[in-house]
Amino acid sequence: MIDPQLLAFFVLAVASVASALGVIIFRNAVHSALSLILTLLFLALFYLQLGAMFIAVVQILIYAGAIMVLFLFVVTMLASEARDTELPDRIPWQRGIASTLGFILVGVLSYLLFTGASIDTGAKASGANSLSHVVATQGDTQAFGLALFHGFAFPFEVTSLLIVVAILGAMVLGRRG
Amino acid sequence: MSIPVSWYLIVSAIIFTVGVTGVLIRRNPLIIFMSIELMLNAVNLSFIAFSHYLNSVDGQMFVFLVLTVAAAEVVVGLAIIVSIFRTRRDIDVDDMNVLRG
Repeated sequence: MIDPQLLAFFVLAVASVASALGVIIFRNAVHSALSLILTLLFLALFYLQLGAMFIAVVQILIYAGAIMVLFLFVVTMLASEARDTELPDRIPWQRGIASTLGFILVGVLSYLLFTGASIDTGAKASGANSLSHVVATQGDTQAFGLALFHGFAFPFEVTSLLIVVAILGAMVLGRRG
Repeated sequence: MSIPVSWYLIVSAIIFTVGVTGVLIRRNPLIIFMSIELMLNAVNLSFIAFSHYLNSVDGQMFVFLVLTVAAAEVVVGLAIIVSIFRTRRDIDVDDMNVLRG
């Protein structure tokens, strides 16, 4: 009898890689965007499997929700006037070379992952500050919030500055000049 | 039976490579943008896997920060693409070879 967690891992792995391939294979940009939304949802399920509830929900709400709606909005706005198909490649063999380089990259990464040093279990956080202890006593979202507003308060504040700059940048670029 | 961390890293590596290949073979800037999002998400998966296996919340914190940076990047990048499209009437990265407006 196969372990249900193992089964879920393999189903999610195949589904997320297949939908990621869909992003770069579909000719139509709207289909690519929908495929990317699917990939993001599968990754959110991975996060749930790894016990990161808050990140999984944020992934669905912000990534698959807000960011991808922005993407689809721009894609549909530009697609009505743009050509349907891309012109033929100007660099011959571009596709073949890129695919070969991709296979080499994934081969090298896998090789390094399997031959590299394994995780030092001595470095594992333990005691009152460890994730599993806080999750067991207070819950996952509370563990995240405690870390965010205690150890990571300064990066969190810098994030708000970044968002203000991005909003101003989008306004400046979007203005009709 | 617990799933070894390297399996998650392999899935992450495969999705990252799909993103890299997408940037190399596609010439629609919107799809190149989506491929960059794929790469960011592949890295996020490694962060969450390490967070789980090292029993620390730091990985989740990094994912949260990457998410905000991705949102800011998409907002500014799409604004640039729309403004290029307004002046050029055409979106193909091979045609965008000057930095002047």
